[in-house]
Formats: sequence, structure tokens, C-alpha cells
Amino acid sequence: MPPSSSLRGVTQLLRETVQPSFACRRLGEVQQTAYLSTSAPRFASVPKKKGLTAAPKKGTKTLNVKKGRKQSGGDTGKKPAVGERKAMRKAVVLSNNNALEVSSLKNLDNENVLDAEIAGKVYGIPDDAIDALRAVDAFKPKQGWKLFRRPAVVVRKEAMQLAQLIKEVESGSEGAKKTVRRIITGERMSGKSTLVLQGLLMAHLRNWVVINLPEAQDLVNAHTEYAPLQGSQPMQYTQDTYTANLLSQILKANKQIADLPVTKEHSLPQPLPPKATLRSLIDIGVATPESSWSVFAALWEELTQPGRPPIMFAIDGLAHIMRNSEYLSADVKPIHAFDLTIVRQFVDYLSGAKSLPNGGIIFAATSGSNSPTVDALNFSLQCAAARQFAPEKMPRWNPYTNLDMRVMEALKDVDTLPLKGLTKEEARALMEYYAESGMLRAKVDDGLVGERWALAGMGNIGELERTTVRMRV
Amino acid sequence: MTRGELSRSLQRAIGTLGRPSCRRPIPHPASRSKPSPSRCLSTTAARPEELQVNEVQEKFTAAAPIDFGRIPGNRRNVLAALRVVPASPSYFSAKPTFNDDYISLCALLRKVATLPTVSPAEAPKVAWKTIEQYRIMTNEPVKNQRYHKMLHILRRLNCVHPSLMPQEVLDAMQRYKKETQPGDIKPAPGVVDEMGRAKGVGRRKTSSAVAWIVEGEGEVLVNGKSLTEFFGRVHDRESAVWALKATQRLDKYNVWGRVSGGGVTGQAEALTLAVAKALMVHEPALKPALRRAGCITRDPRKVERKKAGHVKARKMPTWVKR
Repeated sequence: MPPSSSLRGVTQLLRETVQPSFACRRLGEVQQTAYLSTSAPRFASVPKKKGLTAAPKKGTKTLNVKKGRKQSGGDTGKKPAVGERKAMRKAVVLSNNNALEVSSLKNLDNENVLDAEIAGKVYGIPDDAIDALRAVDAFKPKQGWKLFRRPAVVVRKEAMQLAQLIKEVESGSEGAKKTVRRIITGERMSGKSTLVLQGLLMAHLRNWVVINLPEAQDLVNAHTEYAPLQGSQPMQYTQDTYTANLLSQILKANKQIADLPVTKEHSLPQPLPPKATLRSLIDIGVATPESSWSVFAALWEELTQPGRPPIMFAIDGLAHIMRNSEYLSADVKPIHAFDLTIVRQFVDYLSGAKSLPNGGIIFAATSGSNSPTVDALNFSLQCAAARQFAPEKMPRWNPYTNLDMRVMEALKDVDTLPLKGLTKEEARALMEYYAESGMLRAKVDDGLVGERWALAGMGNIGELERTTVRMRV
Repeated sequence: MTRGELSRSLQRAIGTLGRPSCRRPIPHPASRSKPSPSRCLSTTAARPEELQVNEVQEKFTAAAPIDFGRIPGNRRNVLAALRVVPASPSYFSAKPTFNDDYISLCALLRKVATLPTVSPAEAPKVAWKTIEQYRIMTNEPVKNQRYHKMLHILRRLNCVHPSLMPQEVLDAMQRYKKETQPGDIKPAPGVVDEMGRAKGVGRRKTSSAVAWIVEGEGEVLVNGKSLTEFFGRVHDRESAVWALKATQRLDKYNVWGRVSGGGVTGQAEALTLAVAKALMVHEPALKPALRRAGCITRDPRKVERKKAGHVKARKMPTWVKR
């Protein structure tokens, strides 16, 4: 290309570049071009450096928040993976290899669990029962299991009352078995959840069916999915994932029912194989959460057939299911917890509206540290305590509190199992166990037991553990 | 001079007529002719001790005794010739009562100075009158420093060994003591009532506590709640029953406490004192052990008041240049 023509070409190019609008209009297309200029950035106002204000006067002290240092150096530590911290928080550790083996520790078993002679002593939990209890989430992460070589429980007075109830249920004649309903009350750290665990343990050792709702809050805080139950009037809601998980827990914890045959016809979304067992029934619910509620209902029907074992049905943190849940209905109204199918199932038996033909215990524990204030529940518990212990002092309903009548109706005649502190003998047995485990390095005598018993608020077992084992000075 | 005072002075003057007014030897008339420094003094009957001291004093010339026999005329004329003399030599000073008090105390101290003493810590505890009380008593504008000088003498007098303390010192000191002395008001000794309860009261900061103690097995209720329910901190629980824990009596008594006011720690430490006092009713011999455990003395510290010009009790506002 000769220089002149090439120059002309450049001029032409430049002209087109300078008048892009004409060029655009002429060509009918959008041209994205920019001037070849460096003046704009040069004349643009220099942005101030962020965070740099006037320098502090000489001699004045400035607040050193170490902001820059953190950005420059950075945190070199490894960040925990997703879910790792929650897993740590929820982990249940049941043994401590550094604690001593207690040679004198005997296990509870099928025979001795209802004996009167185990009262006031510490007994170990057998391994298969540990597996079952772990399967139903009866062990809680904050309990002191991780301090000792293996899980053990002190058989306190209230546990013996529970054993008595189990005996009563078992001794009932066929067809007229009792359904015992109890609400455990007591102050904070008095061992309510552990008593639920002991109840489940006793029931498991007696070959009962154990069903546990480990935390009532999980049912109502809208963290698990829900769906309306077709054909229910008034509308009820199923929690399919939760129910499927519950079914798998039931199967793991109750091996003895797995091979029982299905005796009745059930309308399930999926057909049952011929000669089906309860295991295959439950497996359907676990595999397809949509059908889990109908599977649960079918399982319940099977379990209430004559000749089947009694049922221990327990819940912890009762106050949460005694009020509106966090779920919303289709017309954006809160759903009462009683309209959730699992809760409904539990409350029907707790209130005595239904009873178990094979007998059983419906067991509910209140919580001292995680419980919303439910006036109806509190008032019902006061009434129940007064009915049992001081009938002449029935509390009066305070008309200025808002009482939920559904709750009042459900808790009309349920009994309570008030949990007091340990007796001094029980405290002594427990402290001897602590000492033998090597967790309490002191001579366990009357003086020490009396002192710790008094400081623990008249034998509050959680406080006793806290001051003797956890807070060693 | 008011009329009443005049008549009183006159009566006193007449009263002194019959007896020797002054024991000081009157200098010989011969020496009177000597040109010597002399001073005039109005003589009175008072202060014999003071005047007995053998000190070298300035010479003075007393007025010649009055010879009533020579005075002509009747009784009225006698009175007309009398000199009115104030009772106290300090009469013409600004604070005569104070001066008299001070001089008499000095004289008393000189008198008992040789008696054996005890250290001030061992001397009986006396609450002296405050300067305000003394000013009101004497109705004179006594200065602080002067009064403290006098208190110094009084404290020295109080240090005279109690077994040798002369009665006149005791009488003299009585004038300067407060109406009520420490230890005068003794609380009624606590009693264990017919149901076996003993009561104690304790305070700390703005909390006050009452505790009733009965023999039992270590049950503690505070405001109707158990110890663990009422006090969340283990430290506070231990403080509340520290008197029992320190004496190994925690499993021998039941405590029923009522606390009000203040915060949690104050309530716990108020209970310490209350429980200790109630325990001392049951077992008075435990007092030294309880004192060693720190359960006897009331902690007098309270929130210091905020001052004007300060941000808090002592904090000053930040200095600002302009």
C-alpha cells in the first residue's frame, strides 16, 4: 500500500471514529468505540484513600483497632468445614478413655431393672441398650456422659416410681392394660431428661417398643418440611422428613419388632410384599418420605394389635408443643402444634383421649432451660400438682392470662412426676462412683457429701455434678 | 455589764470578804519601794492548784487589803467602795470558758503526769465531743486547732493507768465526753426461740438479709427458692452459706433466708453476715472462727457519690484544648 493511500485510509477511519453517531445512523448498527484520550483519568478528581483522615496531632493517642493489621496478615488458621461446628456441637460422646473403669459397676438387665434392691445405687447401661438409646437420641450432648468410662445412671427414688409404673402396666391382664400418662416437672438441671432416658432404658430392657421425640422444639420451629394431610378435617399437617427419620429410629431401636408380621391391610401408596414384616413396612416409609405418615399410622395400628409389646412414647421439652408452631397455613395463619400429625398423635395419648390396648407409658418432660412460657401448661401443671398433693389448695385461674383452651383440655387430668433433689444416700452413691472413676479426688465421707449436697441446692443432681466433677479447683 | 451579772459579782465579792483570798505570799512592803517590773493582777479565789506551782513568775503588786473598819459611813457606803472582780482571770479574754477549761486541764495533767500510763490503744475507748458540740456547749467561737490541742491533753489524761486513775481526772474528763460512749448501747443477746430458731441480720452494699437458722441437715431456702435456683453463680452460693461452710456446720443447720435490695453478689454477702450472726446465737464459741473466716465484720464500702464537676465519683471530664 502506498503511503498516501494508507494515510487517506487512516483519515477516513479517524473521521468515522470521530463522528460515531453519524456512522451509526448510516450503518444502522451500534458501534462501541472510545476516544483515544488519556485526559479524563488525569483530570478526574483523585479519590481519597479510604479511611485516611487528617493525621492525628502529635502527642495525642489514637485508638488502635488493628483493622489494617488484620487485613494484611490475615487469619492463617484453617476455617472449619461446612457443618463441622454443628456436628461438634451436636456430637454425643459417651465415653472417656482417661476415666477409670469402675470395677464394682454392675449393669442393669432385664431381670434386675424392676427390682427394689437397685434403689439408690449406680448402675451401668448395657451396650445394646446404649445403641438403642443412641438411636432414639435419648442421650443429649450437654449431659455429662463424656466424663466417664461408660454410661451409668443412679437409680433414684423417682426412677423407682417409674419402675413401679412399668410393673403396673406389665401386670395388667390381657385386654385391660393400663396406659400411664406422666409429665416430669422439676427445677433446672434436676435430671428430667435423664429420667426420660431411664424410662426409655427400662422399657427397652423390658422389651417394650420405645418411641422418643428427643426435642419438641424440632417439631414446631419450622426447620423441617410440612405438608397438609389430605382428607383431614380440620386440616392437619404431616412432617414427612421428620416422620421418615423417626421411623428409621424406631426400627433401629426396636429390633424385636422388626420381624413381626403385618397382620392387617393398610392403604399405602406402595404395595406391601406378601408376608410382609414390620421391617419392610417401615422401610417403605424411610425410603419414600411422602408416604411416611401413612406408614407411621399403619405401624401404630400394627403395634396396637393384641399380643404386641407395650409402648413407651416419650417427648422432651413439652412446652414447645403446647402453643402455636412456627408453621403457617395456606391462609397465612399460624398452625397450632396440635394440628401437626406427630404432635397430635402424642397429645391424644397424653390427654387420655386414646389409650393403648397393650398398655404403655406416655412420658413427657418439661425443660428448665429451653422452654417458652405457656400459661396454660403452667396452670395445668400447678393444678395437677395440687390434685396429687394438696387437693384443698387448688390454684385459681388468673383471668388476665391468655389460656389456650385446647391445651387446657388436653392436660385436664394428666398427672405429674415431680423431680426433687437426690437424697443424701443417693448423692453418696453417686459421689463414690465419681471418686472411683477418678473424677473426684477427695475422700467421700459424710462431711463432704453433706456439704456438696447442701451447696447443690438440696441435692440437685446437675448442680452436684457441676460442683464436684466439672468445676474441679 | 448587765444588771444580773453585776449583782452576782457583788455577791461573790462579798462572799470572799471573810476568808483569805490569796495564799500567795504578799511581798514585803520594803521591797515595794524597789523599782522593779511589776504587773497588776486582779485576784480571785479560784485556781488554787494553778497558783501553787513554784514557777518563777513576774512579780506583781497586789492591791492593798480593804480595811472595812476604817471605811466611814454605813453599809451602803461599804458597797460603794467595793471593787467588782470577775470570777475568772480569763474574763476579759475572748474565750474565757475555753481558756479556763484549757488551763485547768493543763494543771490537772501536770498533777498526774507522773502516774504510770498505758498505750493509747489499750486505754478505754472514749468518744470526745466534737468541736461543734463543744462550741454549742460553751457558746464561744473556739478554733479548731485550739480544741485539738485540748483533745490532745484529754487523750493523754485518758492514758493514765485505769487502776490508778484519780477520781478528779475522771470527773474532769466527763465534761468533754459525748453523751453516749461506744459500747454503751449493747444489743440484746440473741436467743434461740421455743421452736429452735435463731435470727440474724446482715447487710452489704444496698442489700439486707435476715436469716433464721434451725438445727437440721443442710437445707437452704432463700426467698422461698433453693440455693441453686436463687444464686446462679457457684461463688455466690458458697458466699451465702460461707459461715456454715467455714465452720463445717453446713450439714447441721437448715437456713431460711430473706434477702432484699441490691444485686446478686450483695445479697449473697449480706446473707453471709446474717447466717453468721444467727449461727453465733446457737454457738457463741464460734465467734473467733467466724471472725477468721471474715463473717463478723460488716463491709462498710458503698457506692461513692457523684461529685459536681466530675463525670463520675472521681473521673474528670476529658481535657479539651479550646
